[in-house]
Order: sequence, then C-alpha cells, then structure tokens
Amino acid sequence: MIELLIHQWKEKVRSPYWQKSIWLNIVLGIIGVYVMLNIVFIGFFADFILLKVFPDTDVVQSFTRILFYYFAFDLIFRFFAQQIPALSVQPYLTLPIPKSKLLHYPLIKSFSSFINVVALLLILPFFGKVICTTFPPMFCLCWIITVLSFIATNNFLNFSLKKYFSKRPLLILFLLVIVGLIIYLDINKSVSFSGYFSADLLSISRAPFLVVIPLTIATLSYYIGYNMLKKNAYIEDIQTNQHLNTSSLSFLSHYGEIGNLMRTEIKMILRNKRPKSLMYVTVIFFAYGFIFYQEKNINNYVILIFTGFFLTSIFAIQYGQFSFSWESSFFDSYLANKIAPFNYLKSKYLLFAFTSLFGFVVTLPYALISYKIGFINAAMLLYNIGISSVVLLYICTWNTSRIDLGRSQFMNYQGTGVTQFLSIIPIAGFPIIVYLLFKYFGVPEYSIYALGLIGLIAIVFNKYMLQLLTRQFIKRRYKMALGFRQI
Amino acid sequence: MIQINNLKKAYGKKVVLSIDDLTINERELVGIVGNNGAGKTTMLSLILDLIEPSRGSVKSKDQLVSKVDDWKNYTGSYLNEGFLIPFLTPQEFLEFIGKLHGLNSKDVKEFMNENAAFYAEDITSKKYIRELSAGNKNKVGILASILSAPEILILDEPFSNLDPSSQSWLKSKLKKLNNEGVTILISSHDLKHVTDVCNRILLIENGLIVKDKNTNAETLEELENYFNVR
Repeated sequence: MIELLIHQWKEKVRSPYWQKSIWLNIVLGIIGVYVMLNIVFIGFFADFILLKVFPDTDVVQSFTRILFYYFAFDLIFRFFAQQIPALSVQPYLTLPIPKSKLLHYPLIKSFSSFINVVALLLILPFFGKVICTTFPPMFCLCWIITVLSFIATNNFLNFSLKKYFSKRPLLILFLLVIVGLIIYLDINKSVSFSGYFSADLLSISRAPFLVVIPLTIATLSYYIGYNMLKKNAYIEDIQTNQHLNTSSLSFLSHYGEIGNLMRTEIKMILRNKRPKSLMYVTVIFFAYGFIFYQEKNINNYVILIFTGFFLTSIFAIQYGQFSFSWESSFFDSYLANKIAPFNYLKSKYLLFAFTSLFGFVVTLPYALISYKIGFINAAMLLYNIGISSVVLLYICTWNTSRIDLGRSQFMNYQGTGVTQFLSIIPIAGFPIIVYLLFKYFGVPEYSIYALGLIGLIAIVFNKYMLQLLTRQFIKRRYKMALGFRQI
Repeated sequence: MIQINNLKKAYGKKVVLSIDDLTINERELVGIVGNNGAGKTTMLSLILDLIEPSRGSVKSKDQLVSKVDDWKNYTGSYLNEGFLIPFLTPQEFLEFIGKLHGLNSKDVKEFMNENAAFYAEDITSKKYIRELSAGNKNKVGILASILSAPEILILDEPFSNLDPSSQSWLKSKLKKLNNEGVTILISSHDLKHVTDVCNRILLIENGLIVKDKNTNAETLEELENYFNVR
C-alpha cells in the first residue's frame, strides 16, 4: 500500500510538466498558500461574519445552516472537479497484489483531495474557536464526527455519482435543477431544508448514540463506492468505450480543406474530456450576465464592455488560449500532410467566429434589460471576431506545452504557461483603453461605435491579417512541434 | 528525388545525425537499419521537415522541403502514433487524409476494399483510433500513408507490431508500389525484411551513414555479422 503511494508521488514529481515549469509551479504554490490562508481566515472569523449577516440568529445555528449549502455545492463541485484516481491502478492489475487492496487505495487516496482540505480548513477553525469553547466536550466530539462523516460521505458518494452520471449527461442538468429548486425553496422559506439540517445536526450532537447514523451513512457510501470500483476494475471498462454519437457533421464537408479541418476540430472538442468539459463550463459562464447586468451597473460602461467582451468570446478565449496545444498529440501529422498553413489557421479563425456569434445570439435576451447591452455586445462581437481571434492565435504560436486530451479540465494546469496568463490582457484590455480614451474626450458612447468599426475593418481585411499570422506560424512551427512531442 | 546536403542535427553539443551527401533516386526502395538511437527517425523527420536541421538542407524534387510545401502533395508518410488523430475512427481518419488529397469517401472505400487483406475488423469498426492495439494503429498509419498514391513513401519501422501475414502483405505491397514507380524509404530493425524488400540499404550508426550498399545475396549475412555483439 505504501509502495503504491510512493509510486503515485513519483508519478506526480516525475511528470515532465512538473519538472519543466518549476516557476509556474512556484507561482501556483504561492497562490495556493494564499488561498488557503484566506480560507482559514474565513473559518476563523466565521462567527463575526455570521453575526454581521444574521444578527438575530445564534452563530452556531447559522453556521450549521450554511453548512447545508456548503455540502450541497460541495457535492456538485466534486462531481465536476474531483478526479477518480481509478485509471492509475491499471498497471497493477496484473501484478500479484490483492485486488481489494488496489480498490481501497483510490478510495483512501481520494481523502487527500484539495476539496477535503478546503472543507477542513473552513470548518476546523470555527470548531476550535466557537464550538469547543461553548459546548461540553461530548457535544463537540459528536458534532465534529458528524460533520466529518458528511465530508466523507460526499467524498465517496462522488465516486458512484460520477460513474453513474458520466453516462447520462442529461441527468446532470436534472440534478442541478433539483438542487437549485431546493435552494430556491429554502431561501424563499417555503421549506426550510437548511433549518431541518441544522436542527438534525445539533440534535445528533446532543445525543451521542445518534452519531451512529452519520457514521453509518459514511461507511455505506464508502462501500457503494468500493463496489462501483470493483465492478469497473477491468481494463475494458477503464477505457472509455463510448459509442459514436457525434453526428457526422457532414454539412462541413462541402467546404473543402477548411471545412475538413473544422470538422475534425469540432470532433476533437466533442470527443475528448478536457475540451468537452470546457465547453460545458462556457455555457455556465453565459449566466454571468445575471451577476453583472444589475440595475446599478447599467450605466457603467466598463462593466458592460467587459461583460459583452466575455459573453461573446468566452469559448474562443477559454478554448482558444490553448490553440495548437490541443492538437499536440497529432501535430506532426498536420505538418507532414497536405495542409496549407493558411487554411489551417483560417479554420480556427472561423471556428472562433462561429462560437462568438453563438455566444452573442444566446446572450441576446440580456438586451431586454437594456438596449445598450445588445448594442455593446454587437460591437464586442465584431471586435472579437475581427481582432481577438487573430491576436489570440498569434499569441498562441508561442504555445509549446503539450496537452493530453484525455484528462479532465478542472484544476488541470497541463499546457498552462505564461502565454496563457498574458494572452488575455491585451485582448481584453484594448476595448477598455479605447473606452477610456473616448471618455477623456467627453464622448464615451462613441467608443462603442469605434470598437465595432475596428472589428468590422479587421473582418474585412481578415485575409491580410491571417497571412501575417501564417508567416508567424511557419516561423514557429518547429519549436511548437518540438514542444508538443514532449510527453 | 531526395537530396540531402551537408545535413546535421545536434541537440546542444550532441550530434545525433550528420550526413554529408546523400541522394535517393527515383524508384529506389531504400532501407535504413541501425540500432536504437542511431538516428534513423531523426533522419526521416528531417526529410519530412518535422524538425529543424542545425545545418544543411533536404531537397525533394530540387525544392527545399523547409521552404516549399510542394513535397506534401506527393509524399506519403507514417513515422509514429503522432501521425494519427486519436479521437477519430480509422474510417474518419482515412477520409480526412483522403479529402486533403481530393479523394471523396467513395474513393476511400474503394481503397479500403483493395487493401482489405491488410487489416482486421477492428479497423472498420466504430472504435476510435486511441482504442486500437499498437499493431492496428500501425496499420491505420500505413494505410493513410499510401492512400493518396504518393510518389515518395516514408515509413518508420512499418513492420513493428504487425502480425506475420500483415508483414508479408506489406512486403509485397511495398515491392508492388515500387514497381509502379514509387520511391520508398523505410527504416527497420528486422534485417531479413529489409534485405528482402529493399534494393539499397543504408546502415546508420551514431548519426553517421557507415554503409550504403545495393542489396545482393550476401547482404543479409553481412548485416547480421555487423550487428552481432562484438
């Protein structure tokens, strides 16, 4: 068992990505520590915060009520973000190690997930500071056991949920709707789920023998997870044997080489985990409008421009910042085959243009809030198609990190380099600069016309811009291909 | 057909390939042999313009491969899995490659029927390429490389992972293509296959071409003696 953990550690440390970009890891490490400190801080001062927000409620009660939400979101977040380390046992399956041991291992290992760490960082400070100082020891013990059981339950339940839902993606939406409904009812005070939860949690803590219940639930979830793994511990199950459900996209086949390339790229997005989950995330981002388009922001052009920019470019940016890297596992075939670089780049340009248009159309209903939104988004659409997509591709010719398509998107930094962090700044910053410039001259509204016009001109001259891009691509191709080959 | 001039590839100080002068003539069937790390794949990658030479040049039909893309029109190649698109089915992949050369799906189907003896059912199933065995991946790559009826064919260890009947099929296919006028360049560890098929053999060691001979009755023995651990 310990040896397995050592192997796992080596896998992490020896992964070329880890070794290669030590600086990025240091930066991420510092950010990670900072985030952790923030979480501890929130946990430690939770009582102050809660008293500010809910002055009439007992702090412990409000905390446990919030725990209800926390666990609900925790479960959803885990579903998307937590990886099942099942694949990593594959090489051991034929070795003389008892299978049961191999199966307990990923379950136990899943404890070390950052999600669990976050939960503990949030709850333990509060527990130490408030619960332990106000209640008798027995109560505290029961309370913490119950809460930890819930974390464990979520942790193990996720194994089964993931397996179950990954084959039934529509049910995920259904589940999200139910969770949304529960939260809606709770906030509306129609049915106080969080109240029940809080009451139950406190009554369990008061009657020590009831602790058996959450512990049983946690154990049960462990065994359900275990059985799920047991059933799926054969190689043919580990390999994803999905059926072809992508339509043949044959309408694109009439558009020659460019259509052919776009078709392949769309298939790549739909048939591989990471770009696909990215696509789902993008759809969630469309809801950002609800946050930003509020009454008080409607005259704030900076926010409107920013939001318009993101709504009409979110996929192009999220996906496009890793352009070329996505194709790293077969980039050589693109170089050695009869593909004109110009057409290759144009297919990407068109893909971005279509997704931007899609984003614009989907988020058009926001224009009902104010005509300004529709107006600004249209300008940003032109800007994104004309300028952003080309600039992004230009910056992406500096991408040299390989991306393995199979792995999930969440918390996956593979392929992330300085390029990605830097690429967004000029693209998103330019519209704001234009706005500020026009504001300086006292005509802020005209900046929207200007941005739209700039985009339009760029679209008209897209051939010329793409030629410049092609020259750059040809110059960079060896370096890119070399980087993409580093497994 | 292919001219290599003063070509050198080095990583830092380590020279992995250095060829002063090499010409591969039209209709030749050239085999490259050498131990692991000798520089075979590097040489093929340089010919295909996949890596940047440290010095020198490769010309195909008198045009620099690094400057003019014309060679892509008449060169078929398969070096390794990096040439396959993992999330496509073999069928889709072949159609993709075919389209690049102006073939439609009917042409591809015809091609597949012609060469049906080479591949197993897996290749016609709905499996994605990433789910295929190493041998089947190799077959898909080889099929894709000859799909466009190239004038130059470049294959890196085409016999690896193939079952015996596919190996003999491939041998006769290569000979047939060569007879029809295709210039072929293959690398292999299997001395017997190479001497069977090729009419010229290049032996590479430590990045240098140490032997360059036309195949005759003694070649196999000569090569075997050479590679015997001394």
